[in-house]
Amino acid sequence: MVQSKKQKYLFLAFCLIPTFIMFSIFTLYPLFSGLYYSFFEMSGSSQAREFVGFDNYIQLFKDEIIPATIWHDYFLVITKVIGIMIMAMFIAVALTQLKIKEAPFYRIIFFFPNIMSVVVIGILWAFIYNPDLGLINSGLEFLGLEEWTRAWLGNESWALTSLVLPSIWAGIGLFMLLLMGGIANIPKSYYEAARIDGANEWQQFWKVTLPLVWPQIRISILYIVITTLNGSFIIVQVMTGGGPNNATHVMGSYLYQQAFQQYNFGYGAAIGVMILVISLITVLFLQLLLRREKVEY
Amino acid sequence: MEKRLKGRLLLVLLAAVLLVFVAACSDDSGTEDSSDDSGDSSGEEISDGTSDGEGLSGTLEVQYFVGGYGDSWWKEVIGDFQAQHPDLEIVEHAGPNINEEMRSRWVSGDPPDVVYIDGAGSSETQMVEDGQLMDLTDWVQDIEVDGTPLMDSFIVPPSDFDGSIYSLPLVFDTWGTWYDITWFEENGWEVPTDFDSFMSSMGQIQEDTGIAPFTTSGQHPYYFLRGMLYPAFGAAGGNELLNDVITGAEGAWTSDTVLDVMKKVEEMQQEGYIDEGFGAINHTQSQMNFLLHDNAYIPVGFWLPNEMEGDKPEDLEYGFIPSPMNEAGEPMAVVPDLRPLAIAEESENPEAAKAFVEFVYTKEYASLFSEHTGAIMNLEGVDLASNKNVPQYLIDANEMINDPEQAEIYHKPHPMSADLETPISDSLVSLMLGNITAEEFVEEAEAAAAEYRNSQ
Repeated sequence: MVQSKKQKYLFLAFCLIPTFIMFSIFTLYPLFSGLYYSFFEMSGSSQAREFVGFDNYIQLFKDEIIPATIWHDYFLVITKVIGIMIMAMFIAVALTQLKIKEAPFYRIIFFFPNIMSVVVIGILWAFIYNPDLGLINSGLEFLGLEEWTRAWLGNESWALTSLVLPSIWAGIGLFMLLLMGGIANIPKSYYEAARIDGANEWQQFWKVTLPLVWPQIRISILYIVITTLNGSFIIVQVMTGGGPNNATHVMGSYLYQQAFQQYNFGYGAAIGVMILVISLITVLFLQLLLRREKVEY
Repeated sequence: MEKRLKGRLLLVLLAAVLLVFVAACSDDSGTEDSSDDSGDSSGEEISDGTSDGEGLSGTLEVQYFVGGYGDSWWKEVIGDFQAQHPDLEIVEHAGPNINEEMRSRWVSGDPPDVVYIDGAGSSETQMVEDGQLMDLTDWVQDIEVDGTPLMDSFIVPPSDFDGSIYSLPLVFDTWGTWYDITWFEENGWEVPTDFDSFMSSMGQIQEDTGIAPFTTSGQHPYYFLRGMLYPAFGAAGGNELLNDVITGAEGAWTSDTVLDVMKKVEEMQQEGYIDEGFGAINHTQSQMNFLLHDNAYIPVGFWLPNEMEGDKPEDLEYGFIPSPMNEAGEPMAVVPDLRPLAIAEESENPEAAKAFVEFVYTKEYASLFSEHTGAIMNLEGVDLASNKNVPQYLIDANEMINDPEQAEIYHKPHPMSADLETPISDSLVSLMLGNITAEEFVEEAEAAAAEYRNSQ
């Protein structure tokens, strides 16, 4: 049966229109609302608002905390990308290549943090970092390293660094699975051929595994960058609230503070627009940076 | 021809859709009008009802935050009010996150009728600035409490916003410094009465136990700002200085008096008396550390015992003193922290709202408030000492606060704006962690005050 043009368009409309309506309501409308509100001075707790043009954007450039929040975000992005990718790759290779009998068990263990809420992870790690009762200081004391103990989250110099560990711990599992999927798809014959040619395990990893799972690595990096720029707010809010003295504020947590704690909703919206622009630029830059020819053997 | 017909049909269809939208919109506004009408009519019913001896009718929505004081007092008061007005439907909006949950109602101009302003996410100053609260200036003049004008019955008068009253202070709370009486008696530690004795007491405690004696919440630095610094500013410069630092007056934060106070904080830090872990903990964690004797002093309001009721070790006995930041020989300073009750400007049942607010302010409910919450309601002449259900620490604190030789009361003009309090709190944490000096702190605070003034 030949489908008429009309039927074809009707089917396409049937598939696309509901999606487009949902996308408009839940993505486009909030996006443009945020952009619209960024031109107003308003508390966000009433309908009162005053049009201030680009004042909120001018304020962005004057605000001394903004550059610090951007740096904190990128610090988390860089450390998370490096930490998660190295750990996830290491575990994925170990579980697929080393023929470990307990591989399924480890797969579940490493994936476990991914099914936990970030809020729970934040609270859990806040206890681990507790200066008096926490596991880290207790462990250091047990090892006779008392001088290394400190109030990790309460110290301006250490608080941001302390957020990296839970962020990496929480992120490894998903990317480990992604990479394991990629590695499992590499034909065994490639490794056999490499071995016949005299390649050792390390060379096999660099010359076979890594190039062939590059698409998964690329997607993982992009995903970590996007989720960190947009989502590191949660772990910061739960563990430090942006403190001490703004030492851990990321763009998202500072937006929340301005919009909902200091009642500068318009300024908060302007910070939101800034996050959008920075995220877009970063992703575009990464797309260019990570672009490589597809490797096929 | 057929095409033109189809076009017309499409236009008619479009017009019909638009008409439906317009009708829907006008229906909405109609509902608002009619609900306004019903609000008005309920008002008329009240005046008629009052003369006829009938109760109020319509709906009364009450929003109250449930924190350290719990909600049992509210339940009792609302229950009694309901019994008096059986035709009135009372809707309670309560909980620890109620300010956030009700935000959309306030934003959309459909607020509850009565609001108790307390807890995270609420700001009396912001609500007044946004025009969300009803001007009660004239109305409150005619209200009486057990035969005395309400305005003459307050321990602390209502906040003054350019000569207008938008809220009535309900809870007379005050920040102070808590300690464990049992622990202090066991160890023979002196309870301080001024800053010097405070420092020597902390030194003694540190020597005896090895702990950092003082803790507070670094995640909520306003606990220290309101609990220690406000009394210190009051003691050092009276109401005038308190007013200047809260309003961010030019030169207030860099004045010698403020610098002297901040030097005291710096001294506490340098001596190692402030728990260095305070920077990351929230208020409940700091309170828990206090209960576990990880620290000996903590600045909190009267709600501490109620909030930590389930965690209190059996032998711990709460002791409360006004924060001892005063000089030797001078009375300790108390700066009340008031939690007000207000009526929404857009209340749909203002008569019922006013009747409820009036109903709440009686000495009977004030005494009951202390029983239920362990705090004081902002009414004078309430006999707490003879009420066996009022906790002893509150009776002692009440006596101390009302003894001018022991403590002097200073008043804030209104709460500090979040735009000023946040940057000052940030710098305060830095000072208390030893990362900046007192001189650097006052400079940073003055800069924050200048920015705040410019934004007004």
